[in-house]
Amino acid sequence: MTYYLARRMLSFALTLFAVSIVVFAAMNVLPGDPALTILGLDATEDALAALREQLGLNAPLVTRYFLWVGHALTGDFGVSHSFGVPVSELIGERLPLTVSLALSGIVLTVVLALALGVGAAANHGKAGDWGVMFLSQIGIAIPAFWLSMLLVILFAVKLRWFPPGGFPGWGEPLDAMRSLVLPTVALALVQSAVLARVTRSSVLEVMRQDYVRTARATGFSHRRVLWLHVLPNALVPIVTIVGMQFAALVTGTIVIENVFYLPGLGRLIFQSISNRDLPTVQALVMLFAAIVVTANFVVDLVYVLIDPRLKSRA
Amino acid sequence: MIEMQSFSVSFGAGEALREASFVITPGDRLGVVGESGSGKTMLGLSLMGMAPDAAKLSGKLRIDGRDMSGASERDWQALRARKVAMIFQEPMAALNPLRRVGETLCEPLRQHLGLSRSAARARAFELFEEVGIPDPEARLEQFPHQLSGGQRQRVLIALALACDPELLIADEPTTALDANVALRITDLLVRLAKHRNMALIFVSHDLAAVARATAEIMVMYGGEIVERGPTRAVLDAPAHPYTRGLLEARPSPQSKARGPDGKRPRLTTIPGVVPQLHDLPAGCRFSGRCPVELPVCAAVRAPVCAVAADRTAACHALVSEGGA
Amino acid sequence: MTRKLPSNLLIGAVLVALVVAVALLSLVWTPHDFAQMNIRGKFAAPGAEHWLGTDQLGRDVVSQLMAAARNSMAVAFIAVLLGGSIGVALGLTASAVGGVFEEGIMRLADLGFAFPALLFAIMLAAVFGPSLSNAVLAIAFINIPIFARVTRASANQIWMREYVAAARAAGLGRFAISRDHVLPNIAAPIIVQATIEFAVAILAEAALSYLGLGAQPPAPSWGRMLSEAQTLIYLAPQLAIYPGLCIVTAVLGFGLLGDGLRDVTDPRLSRER
Repeated sequence: MTYYLARRMLSFALTLFAVSIVVFAAMNVLPGDPALTILGLDATEDALAALREQLGLNAPLVTRYFLWVGHALTGDFGVSHSFGVPVSELIGERLPLTVSLALSGIVLTVVLALALGVGAAANHGKAGDWGVMFLSQIGIAIPAFWLSMLLVILFAVKLRWFPPGGFPGWGEPLDAMRSLVLPTVALALVQSAVLARVTRSSVLEVMRQDYVRTARATGFSHRRVLWLHVLPNALVPIVTIVGMQFAALVTGTIVIENVFYLPGLGRLIFQSISNRDLPTVQALVMLFAAIVVTANFVVDLVYVLIDPRLKSRA
Repeated sequence: MIEMQSFSVSFGAGEALREASFVITPGDRLGVVGESGSGKTMLGLSLMGMAPDAAKLSGKLRIDGRDMSGASERDWQALRARKVAMIFQEPMAALNPLRRVGETLCEPLRQHLGLSRSAARARAFELFEEVGIPDPEARLEQFPHQLSGGQRQRVLIALALACDPELLIADEPTTALDANVALRITDLLVRLAKHRNMALIFVSHDLAAVARATAEIMVMYGGEIVERGPTRAVLDAPAHPYTRGLLEARPSPQSKARGPDGKRPRLTTIPGVVPQLHDLPAGCRFSGRCPVELPVCAAVRAPVCAVAADRTAACHALVSEGGA
Repeated sequence: MTRKLPSNLLIGAVLVALVVAVALLSLVWTPHDFAQMNIRGKFAAPGAEHWLGTDQLGRDVVSQLMAAARNSMAVAFIAVLLGGSIGVALGLTASAVGGVFEEGIMRLADLGFAFPALLFAIMLAAVFGPSLSNAVLAIAFINIPIFARVTRASANQIWMREYVAAARAAGLGRFAISRDHVLPNIAAPIIVQATIEFAVAILAEAALSYLGLGAQPPAPSWGRMLSEAQTLIYLAPQLAIYPGLCIVTAVLGFGLLGDGLRDVTDPRLSRER
């Protein structure tokens, strides 16, 4: 098991390293002059030179890369051009919102998907099964931002139960949570459509296994067999998809924050793009890619917790 | 006492089990033999109330005098493990891979018998000793993938015995095991049945194992019981052409023939294959493969004839011979 | 003997045919010019003149939806073709060459999965400014590792077949074998994947255009129509309905068609339904 963990950790670190190279290269090697982008076409040559110097653009690329990574590791992502404050400060302010949104989204996704998927599998071939499959087929095709708009039309414009967007700040915890309800639902509904299908087919697959028959032959009720014997065994493929979905959810927050005007990292990335604030965009892209990679790494760790067969593998 | 009377299991027009009737009482050891698809497993599952949902059941099934033909899933749950228990063919696949075998074994002890954690644990230890698992303390802590095939089958037997059933159905318990282990598992089942005064139904296509394990035998073909009687007598002088075919197909003990997988080769010398459920012959189900077939066989079901005082066989040829 | 076609294949084919037909029709005919503004006729109710009414600038909604279908199909087609070709080429090469090269390509493909299309589009937009071609590039990019994986996995199986051994014995080179023997035999899984990725690309284009990283005004796009409709959500909520329905129809169509094709071409892979 130690070997498995060590291997996974090494590959995790290597992937992060490679991702940082890709991000840095995309933002720095591609043709284009950041100083020109920032100052605009009518900038004087002197001003451009001064800004290049200030941005450290005159140093060789490799030096700049290691400076960037070195600083990033200590939490220093440079200074945002447009906000005039350290990028890390900007991120720190907005991170809690994005994290709350992503976590509540994944929790709701998993709860909904397990309930629907297990329910469908337990009623295999009956009306409930078909209903879940039909809804999830549609759900997979619905863009999250459009679903958000439909939710806004119904629950904010017509019924006025929830605000259509905006965020009052954590100082008003109740209002803050209220304003996160629609975004969370919009994120989770689409993802749970995918996960419910995976859950259903995984549960059906496990229900055909001999050990499930053994459990039934030992006189346990369907419900007990389902939750104690079938579901744990069905979890491995489910966890894989949940890991991938967490990544999708985190990037999904970029879209959803823009639909609901929530001041999180997703909004920040767009403000930075329109402000040509490259250090901020670079830091945020790196952060999002790192979250995606980390989610997949965590999935590999969870496998070990679920499946004892992996533990004993040399 | 468990009693089946004209019990049938059908899927649409196909009958997987046709009008099976027999009685089994504590201490009986009954062998059920036949090729794959002969209805042996359906017979076992029916006794557990575990025939597939799609199956249509008819006839009578009484357990301790209680008619179970219309019983609900809940009624059956109360009987499984406590009255009737079953072990299956593939010990490799029949244990939950994510649970320590001790947890698996303690689950029915705690759920059905209401034992405390430590009492269940102590009972599990005893059960492991009873089924001959060495070093039970350490084994209880292990996962199925850490055990050999024979040990897993012993764990499954311990699990089946956990709630002291009156009948143990062993469905091909030795098929997936190599020959030496198979022999020991067979002897273990016989010893347990005698010691506990428990009824045993030993389902197999391995005639040697059945001969070793049982006192009575039922030969099944195409969902029907074609011959029955004392095991020794039936195997020494089979009355039904199918039973004869099975015996002739058996690899001779001298040749010790083994397939490439190290197991005994499957029975292959009866010409043809077991018919599919949906195109069973209308008359005798062995017609088409039978070496002594008469014109009447394909159209009319064979009558059950008494071959001896304690033996019957269902065959037209026996009638035309005027008995045995 | 006719085999019954799976219903997802039939429904998917019908929806896809509908969307493609509308996209093609829009090349030669739309009820109105989709970009024609008419401020006095803004927010017109649906009627004989404007079947689904007009938007805030008096533009005909049906014409815009039709033109956007064309745009959506074009983006998805180019992106999947571009990314798919590169991915298939990489996968075929990896499978043919093997060894360290194969390992390297596949590790690179793994790396590609760390960048969802949105992040890649954001990077491109930050450097070059937002545009539809950047969106196409971003969507094409995420298709490369997907196709590389599918191709390599399928190709590796073909390389173990006897007719490949025979071709090698006949002195054919690795690339000739890849072209003449491997590629034709892995066409089915690649086409299935392409159909499914087509659906994903339509969704991605809509999202990127919605966020302003794709189609720029006045180019017609379902995603962009939705982002305009959002600002009018109190005034004219109906404008937020139609483009979304179009997206769902197209995505559902290609998704079902892909699932159906997979069921038909490879029953082993078909999911329990």
